[in-house]
Amino acid sequence: MPGAIDVLEQLVNGLTVGMVYVLLAAGLSVIFGVMDVINFSHGELFALGAYFALSIISPLGGAGFWVALVLAPLLVGVIGMAIERTTIRPLYGRDPLYHILLTFGLVLIIQDLIVLGWGRQQQQLTVPEYLTQPLDLFGVQLSIYSYFMIVVGGLLAVGTWLLLNRTKYGMIVRAGSQDRQMVRNVGIDIDKYYTVVFGFGAALAAVAGIILGGYQNVNPTMGGDAIIPAFIIVVLGGLGSFRGAVYGGLLVGVVQTLLRTYVEPLEGLIVFLLMIGVLLVKPQGLFGQETGGHAEEEGDLFVGTGGGVLSQATRVKLGAVTVGLLALAPPVILTVTGNSFYVSLLNEILIWAIFALSLDFVMGYAGLVSLGHTLFYGVGAYASALVMLHLTSSFLVAILGAILVCAVIAWIVGTLSIRVSGVYFAMITLGFAELFYELVVKFEFTGGSDGLLGFDAVFGLAGLGVPLADIEATLFGMEFGAETAFFYVALALAVLSLLFARRFMNAPFGSVLQSIAESEERTKFIGYDVTTYKRRAFVISGAMAGLAGALLAIDPNTFVISRGQTLHWIHSGEVIVMTILGGMGTLFGPMLGAGVFLGLEELILGYTEQWRMVLGVIFVLFVIFVPRGLVSVPTVIQSRLRGPDEGEPGVTAGDDAEVSADD
Amino acid sequence: MTETVLRTVDLTKRFGEMTAVDHVDLDVEDGEFRSVIGPNGAGKTTTFNLITGALRPSEGTVEFRGEDITSLPPHERVRRGLGRSFQITNVFSGLTVHENVRLAAQALYAEDLSGVDAMFRDTAEFADINDHTAEILERIGLADRAGERADTLAYGDQRRLEIGLVLAYDPALVMLDEPTAGMSSEDSWATIDLIEDVLADKSLMLIEHDIDLVMEVSDRITVLTRGQELATGTPEEIMADESVREAYLGGVRE
Repeated sequence: MPGAIDVLEQLVNGLTVGMVYVLLAAGLSVIFGVMDVINFSHGELFALGAYFALSIISPLGGAGFWVALVLAPLLVGVIGMAIERTTIRPLYGRDPLYHILLTFGLVLIIQDLIVLGWGRQQQQLTVPEYLTQPLDLFGVQLSIYSYFMIVVGGLLAVGTWLLLNRTKYGMIVRAGSQDRQMVRNVGIDIDKYYTVVFGFGAALAAVAGIILGGYQNVNPTMGGDAIIPAFIIVVLGGLGSFRGAVYGGLLVGVVQTLLRTYVEPLEGLIVFLLMIGVLLVKPQGLFGQETGGHAEEEGDLFVGTGGGVLSQATRVKLGAVTVGLLALAPPVILTVTGNSFYVSLLNEILIWAIFALSLDFVMGYAGLVSLGHTLFYGVGAYASALVMLHLTSSFLVAILGAILVCAVIAWIVGTLSIRVSGVYFAMITLGFAELFYELVVKFEFTGGSDGLLGFDAVFGLAGLGVPLADIEATLFGMEFGAETAFFYVALALAVLSLLFARRFMNAPFGSVLQSIAESEERTKFIGYDVTTYKRRAFVISGAMAGLAGALLAIDPNTFVISRGQTLHWIHSGEVIVMTILGGMGTLFGPMLGAGVFLGLEELILGYTEQWRMVLGVIFVLFVIFVPRGLVSVPTVIQSRLRGPDEGEPGVTAGDDAEVSADD
Repeated sequence: MTETVLRTVDLTKRFGEMTAVDHVDLDVEDGEFRSVIGPNGAGKTTTFNLITGALRPSEGTVEFRGEDITSLPPHERVRRGLGRSFQITNVFSGLTVHENVRLAAQALYAEDLSGVDAMFRDTAEFADINDHTAEILERIGLADRAGERADTLAYGDQRRLEIGLVLAYDPALVMLDEPTAGMSSEDSWATIDLIEDVLADKSLMLIEHDIDLVMEVSDRITVLTRGQELATGTPEEIMADESVREAYLGGVRE
């Protein structure tokens, strides 16, 4: 039985961390409430605050902390305003999905900028000495700094509350989060307020970064580590609810700290379980408002290409030629380069192509934005590796096992998640993926944080077959190794998956998925059980992502399956990037996107360490200017060539001008 | 004796403190053209949503052809023959006219399809669905525009398509939510003509604010104010009703 003093001490510790969460979540929540923007880069602005403080303090010493506490948030606030003006503004009126994508691109950029500016190593933020003194309060011995954090956080939270509730400005912002159109109707230009709200949220995040930096340390991953719990809190408390962000932040801070001390196995899991549980019981969050039955304002989702310039027959031909060229690639690569490096790269591309295709299946066709799709990729990889380790080395059995396990998990996750829609669906899937990310380290059989090692695939079934690693053949004087053998298997599976998906979308079931993406409500009212259709699509998609994961484990270049490489949320982000980059709702587009993404990564890596930043910039530009992805490029070029009077598709906010080749 | 196709008993919906629909009893007879009118905030749209299943009532029941459908989800109501059209034209704008109607027609057959057929057989190969689609396209006069994308149609043709979607699953009662909203008087009449023409053999329930139009076409009219039923009767009876004049007609006309 822990002593009362201990519990009290942990409670105070929980509150200090909770305050950081409150400041982070409050900004996120208000930004979402007012402008429907899900700001993934919020964590990076938080980190940026800490880094600016670092630079301000280093010439000034301890007293510089106070200067930094004022100056750094102001700087970050200005940066936030600039970000809103230049990148987020063009996207208003589109589906919130595009904000997720855009701000994901910003994450990549800011992360690399931080590494460029301050390096990768962990750094210490100097705090005035008198703040680090221990303080004995009711028998609890903690440094003054802990109480300082609680006071600063509390003051800012109260201040923000007063601002929102006691000023005319705050009234408008709050009214805007209730009903934007109504605020416009009474003659207030709510859009002008967006920039300031975004900047204010960024400044709050920066304060949070600084005070946490002083408590722990400053490092480049602090933004990525903080953003997921912050999101969970926002969803838990109710999107757009300031009160929810405050209570949610303190609750999560305290619960996390207490569990870490007393119920260690549950640490890390509980936040996600809490969020999933709350969303299932009260889909609008603890303090969220019921919308009175009105459908949410839906933005435009750019799906498909609406015909495009290329005819169906041309596309089929192009596809066949692409597959033909790919089939010839290994001998050419081996002859020209003399090694299999680029074959391995192609293998990686094929795996991700299948993964991206699986996401397009639900995101592009059923309108289900799964932010946790890497869950199935990861579980597929783990399942496949476990089959090979404990059951049989046959790659076929490993693949089937992975597909089966993923289908079952997708059915469960889908059944629970599809009850909520839109942003909540995105968040609950993210929650499930994070849950698995935390779970795999809790068990022995998954290899803990080291991951799984020592499995080898055999190309064959029931004891017959060739170990993949032993495959070596000499044909026409060229050496074909395991990479090449795997390449043909992966290519065949990728082509099969694409054909399967195409077949499916042309059949009655798939046609209903497309109508759901067009208008879910209308689909309901022509007599379809939308939930069942979505769930089935989700299961198929999960199984397909499982196939991609299984292939990752079989890939001869994979020696270890770890959670960072498969289950980390960044991979969910990457696969969404690929899907949009290629053009969602087209099946082949996302596969192309996977190729371009990984190809670019390889190319940029040849010139600079900061490939993520370059990729982030390309991606941001794509989301703003070519939201329909690479597959729409011919159409975009065509309409540009035809003259300015045709309109520029996707460039202006809320402009859903369709590009059609036949008018 | 005519049968009752739709009946609501004590239908009530509260949003927090506010009661949007307050113990409303409606009876729509088979073949009837019923209109529901009322000033803004009278609870018309909420009533509509309660009947179609977009909202669940706080109290009371909805019966359709003698069956209690209060707790059924929207698609189950549609399957039983309770169709609805949308206030703002809500067709699948990115799909072709043919595909729009085909999807609605497919819904009629969806439960009879085998799993493999539904998942993998090309939609072009289902003869009965495609025949049904062709027939509907003919009836709404869009057969020659079947290959065009729905969003390239003129507004009036989109309206036709919208009605076609309702028609395709052969409903017994069609709920129409302000089908003429935002239209010129001329377009409004054209739409009403279309409805009377294509949906002549159906029972209809029209939510509308245009009094002249309602008086012209309805068999019976229900007037709602502040969530409550004020009066129900033939257009003549409604015109003559003092309380209606006071509560609604007077307010609008002056």
